[in-house]
Amino acid sequence: MIDTKNVRHRNVRHKNVRHKNVRYIVCFAALLCVMCNGAYAQVVEAPEDSKTLQDPKPAAQPKSFDELKVEGARRSSYHTHESKRVAETAPEPDLKTFQKLIQPVLAKACFECHGPDKQKGELRIDTLNADLFAGNDVDWWLEVLAVLTNGEMPPEDEVELADGDRTRVIEWLAAEIQIASTTRRATIKHSSFRRMTRYEYNYALQDLLGLPFDFAEDLPPDPTSKDGFQNSSEVLHVSGMQFRAYLDASRRALRLATITGEQPEMLHWGVSMPAAAAVEWAKQDQQLANLRKKHKDDSKKLEVELARQAERFLKRPNGVFYKDLKSGRMARQSWGYNGAKFAWKPAEKRPEVPAQLEQIAVVPQRKALVVELGNQLPERGMLRVRVRASRESREHDGAPSLQLMFGWQASNDSSSSYVIGKEELVVAAAPGAAQFYEWQVPLSQIYPRNMVRKTQELGQLPSPSEYIKILNTSHSGGDVWIDHVEVSAPVYEQWPPTSHTKIFGDRASSKPAEENVYAREVLTQFLSRAWRRDATQQEVAQKVKLFEKLRPKCGSFEDAMVETLATVLASPNFLYVVASKADGLSGLELATRLSMFVWCSMPDRELQTLASTGQLQDADVLRDQLERMLRDPKARRFSQHFVRQWLGLELLDFLHVDRKAYPRFDATLKQAMAEEPIAFFHEVLQQDHSALEFLHANFTMANERLAKHYGLSDVTGNQFRRVELTPEQGRGGLLTQAGLLAMNSDGIDSHPLKRGIWMLERLLNDPPPPPPPAVPEIDLTDPEIAKMTLKQRIENHRDHPACMSCHAKIDPWGIAFENFDAVGRFRTKIGGKPVDSVSVLFNKQKLDGVDGLKRFLLKNRQDQFVRALVQKLATFALGRPLTFADRAAIDEITAQTRMRGDGLATMITSIVTSELFQSN
Amino acid sequence: MTIDIASLDRRRFLRGSAVALALPWLESFVGAAGAEVGAVERRAKHKRFACVYWPDGVPMPLAEDPAYQDWSWFPHGAGKDYTFTKCLETFGPLRQDLTIVSGMSHPAVRKVHGHSNADQFLTGADTGVRGDYKNSISLDQEFAAHVGEQTRYSSLVMSTDGGTGTPRGAHTLSFDRRGRAMPAAHRPKRVFDALFVKRDEDAAKRLALNESALDDLLVDARSLRKKLSGHDQQSLDEYLDSVRETEQKIEKAKRWASIPLPTVAGHDLKLESTPDESRAYLQAMLGLIHLAFQTDSTRVATYQIGRENGVGISDHLARAVGFQLAHQLSHETKKPGGWKNFATYCGFLNEEMARFAAKLKATKEVGGVGNMLDNTLILFGSASSAFHLSRNYPLVLLGGNNMGFQHGQYLNYLRGTAFGGAWTGGREPWQQEFAHEDKPLANLFVTMLQRLGVETNSFAGSTGVIDEV
Repeated sequence: MIDTKNVRHRNVRHKNVRHKNVRYIVCFAALLCVMCNGAYAQVVEAPEDSKTLQDPKPAAQPKSFDELKVEGARRSSYHTHESKRVAETAPEPDLKTFQKLIQPVLAKACFECHGPDKQKGELRIDTLNADLFAGNDVDWWLEVLAVLTNGEMPPEDEVELADGDRTRVIEWLAAEIQIASTTRRATIKHSSFRRMTRYEYNYALQDLLGLPFDFAEDLPPDPTSKDGFQNSSEVLHVSGMQFRAYLDASRRALRLATITGEQPEMLHWGVSMPAAAAVEWAKQDQQLANLRKKHKDDSKKLEVELARQAERFLKRPNGVFYKDLKSGRMARQSWGYNGAKFAWKPAEKRPEVPAQLEQIAVVPQRKALVVELGNQLPERGMLRVRVRASRESREHDGAPSLQLMFGWQASNDSSSSYVIGKEELVVAAAPGAAQFYEWQVPLSQIYPRNMVRKTQELGQLPSPSEYIKILNTSHSGGDVWIDHVEVSAPVYEQWPPTSHTKIFGDRASSKPAEENVYAREVLTQFLSRAWRRDATQQEVAQKVKLFEKLRPKCGSFEDAMVETLATVLASPNFLYVVASKADGLSGLELATRLSMFVWCSMPDRELQTLASTGQLQDADVLRDQLERMLRDPKARRFSQHFVRQWLGLELLDFLHVDRKAYPRFDATLKQAMAEEPIAFFHEVLQQDHSALEFLHANFTMANERLAKHYGLSDVTGNQFRRVELTPEQGRGGLLTQAGLLAMNSDGIDSHPLKRGIWMLERLLNDPPPPPPPAVPEIDLTDPEIAKMTLKQRIENHRDHPACMSCHAKIDPWGIAFENFDAVGRFRTKIGGKPVDSVSVLFNKQKLDGVDGLKRFLLKNRQDQFVRALVQKLATFALGRPLTFADRAAIDEITAQTRMRGDGLATMITSIVTSELFQSN
Repeated sequence: MTIDIASLDRRRFLRGSAVALALPWLESFVGAAGAEVGAVERRAKHKRFACVYWPDGVPMPLAEDPAYQDWSWFPHGAGKDYTFTKCLETFGPLRQDLTIVSGMSHPAVRKVHGHSNADQFLTGADTGVRGDYKNSISLDQEFAAHVGEQTRYSSLVMSTDGGTGTPRGAHTLSFDRRGRAMPAAHRPKRVFDALFVKRDEDAAKRLALNESALDDLLVDARSLRKKLSGHDQQSLDEYLDSVRETEQKIEKAKRWASIPLPTVAGHDLKLESTPDESRAYLQAMLGLIHLAFQTDSTRVATYQIGRENGVGISDHLARAVGFQLAHQLSHETKKPGGWKNFATYCGFLNEEMARFAAKLKATKEVGGVGNMLDNTLILFGSASSAFHLSRNYPLVLLGGNNMGFQHGQYLNYLRGTAFGGAWTGGREPWQQEFAHEDKPLANLFVTMLQRLGVETNSFAGSTGVIDEV
């Protein structure tokens, strides 16, 4: 049944509605999806929870988180881990309990109507096979579970069934079903031989070709495995369409990387603000002229009006405006698409850069300066935009930042504009000392372009013109002053470009007679990189033969080579990773597994060389390589993709925040929320901080927008940086990160169940027991219930025997988060009433808010958390679901990690150097 | 546009009432004029099939609910004597071109939660609720296997969410013969370009290049396969299959390479629109089916309006009628105005569907009889009715008058026994026992296939046919 629900509700994210004051919880099926995304069965050694029961009242001075970390670590069972035997065999059905405790209850309550004499509803329970692992009566048992849970059976007036007995049967059935279903999955052996995911393919091509393009945009999206991972061999199938998409994408990538012919002429646009402002000054002058004309007979009036008008010109306009620094005169920048009147003409020669100018464009926060370029921007090569800018303020601590946008407006309802240069440039230059800030954006990656740019004349409608915008992205950094903009395209640092010479070498071109020799050289080289091993002579010969076959059909040597090389990239030798062997991984396969793990891509030359010479299997070399790779910027990909999948961050993508309830919530904040866990993980990784930092840390990673959301001051700019936290701020660790709290809300209010389930499943790898098939919604028409607070309602609901077993395991965890609203802001009141975030775990352990929860986890659940993280990382590292056979290895890695102080990088090292990672 | 010469309706041509035909064909036509004239009656030479699916069921207020009269999806009455509710009334002008069906569903999945229903709507497979997942060929692909070779594209597979989705959470209605999900296209512009914009001057060369590439890749794959362990070999077999499938496509495409892509004189589709511009997007997707059919680029199309259960971009389609998320509407029927809201959203889908059908109806069948709708069978439906209940699928059969459909009726197989009402707690509808059993939908599928010209007596465990349509 776990399975059942799981699959059915896999993607359920019911936004159960709670209108303003009416908050009702839907506990049921809707949520259960989240609840039972069961990973492979794990029975974590029970931590010493029981001890906490006897804990005396908290001391006057509660222990700090740091003290608790130490205390909790002392309790770790892994410190005495000496090749502890862990069951590697699948669990067995618990028939003993059934016979002893369950069957007698059923006999009393059910057999009369569903036994040898009567079989009401064609159901006979006494003969059902109680083996839920291998038996054939699972469906009937689900039925039994359902009616017992819902209190439908036995009929109240006929048979009495004590609550305790009912609960016992429900719990036994639920547990058996859960373990049985996970067992089924975990006993199937999965190979880790699989195709690359969409994102791995993309990175591999980026690394191979040396181009930071999006090569995977046309590939269909990849599904997600039950563990939440996209790189799992069990979901990475290949269909005909997918294969063709890979082949096409490979060709496209190679065409983008290679060139033919001469270097195209570069065009230059030099736009100085005095020239740009001239239109506006002329307009102002015209206004003055009009006044002179109007009042030509009244010199006094004229004087007054002229003075008044001149004063108006000194008033700061809204939006982007031009300013004459000498006179102080200002004029708003106007722009219209019609007739491409604002388009600048390009020149073939790079215009001279003027000395600092006295007339500038002032770009306030969140505003953008438009520079229209006409319809001559090419299709390929780099678009280089240089902006001479300074910040406006001398005092301001935080410097503003700029982003580059691209867009066009063809007609009144056909337009587009979007950020193209992802990187934000911080304008640190002080006024009077303006500097150039530069972006380079590959034109081939700009999409969508103006579709009529080739077919329309400039000035016609629809307009074929395109523009760039210089956007001031800062929230508090103040104005940016710009006095000169220079645009060039297509820019090539060299010709042929590096991406071309990387494949074809430095040879300019080859004589027809030498083509085959040249092709062989290129292919030998390329094959050995793309296939992550030296190609055999036979393989090279085969590709050369293909080249010879294709050459007559192609216009040029390069074209034929692109076609041939595309087969190298569409070959399973490139697309598939980590083949298994009876006796462990070869060095080369190990290199691939390693780089897929921490770079989400293929090995680089150094790693491949070490692998091919057999050195990589040396433990020290392997460790050194891992260290090198984690330091490499490419390790950031690992943080991004692992964290997104581990924490299920796609929930945040689909979160719809109620704008009425949260008017200040915006896309920038959502983006920052999505970034925080990744940046945080990456920082923990880079610093080899303890994995326990995920439970609590004295810092987080934030930018200005997020910091503002958290009420932290002194963070300016859009870059993420480490921000130290104080205990009073009530934050620290994943559990208090806004994005994770928000994505487990319903967009209107908090959602304790979602949060509880998410934590159990994702952080503790301990999905709650299976939900009953249908649990009644809380009846809000009942005035008694309507009066209750959310927490009371949950508790009331939990008192229902049928709901208890499930909810006792989830609710307290979720209630602990109640101090955080639907967008993860701290709150002390809900609807005027004080927040009650105190809850009691099933073992009577009290959790006092999220701090209490963190304390509890740090004190009692360190082993469980660390082991859960090891499991998640190992699943990601291997690219396949774990099985029972992997349990001992996971335990060993956990023990190693724990004994070495829980560092995240240490954990990853333990995984990589483990037998598990190096075998199949 | 390519016109199959054999498809010219000689009678109409001789009467001179047919659309003007270009000269080049006259000669060949005259050449064939010796053949029997007059044997061609109301035939649908180009039979087409389209399936459009929406997720999450339909509003089904109880009879005593004030919302029942107006905001139920299913019409009131039965047979020829029925009245549309406000939810469906947009289909009014097409009454003689359509049949509404209630009381049909796939037996194998009646106990499956409605959230995983899109997977098997066109396949009828027992996709189960847990463990192994196996699907089977979908109705459209069965038909495509029959007619696909006659057009440039054997089928057009689209969905708002794109790709294949996951087992039991499909983003596509179409499954190939091996039961593998066929990824759906989701960007109108991409579809348009593939259909009508010739990107490569010499397609023949392209095909030749591809052919050589595939031969080479098969060699690569086979030699790699030899080095793999048994389990890994199975994974690689998928790759080999997909290369072979591509080879077949190339064989087929080679025949088309010499014929230029059809040109579209003018259209009003907003091809760059996204589901956030819901109405424009829906119109673009449906409009593409119209264009693809009109140009005979394909005769088979599927479009999944949304994935089940929200959580996808398709959930935004509700914005067209002022709501935020579509799926949520199916859950909020208990709220005041809930039925109306849900029905308003369904009504929007109906409206666009009716627009699409009307467009086909307004388009003459070139070289055939009647209009395009007469020769196009459309199945418009969902695989759940009341709250997550995988029974009593709401179905509209549209078009296909030339295939012998007896339209203008409501095949109300439930006659008042339909399960409805908002879920008020307790067991969800899909978990309950039902005294009344639906008719197997596959029976209707068999009839549809037969009318579409496929000689078959069974599909997906069918037990017969449905003669009443």
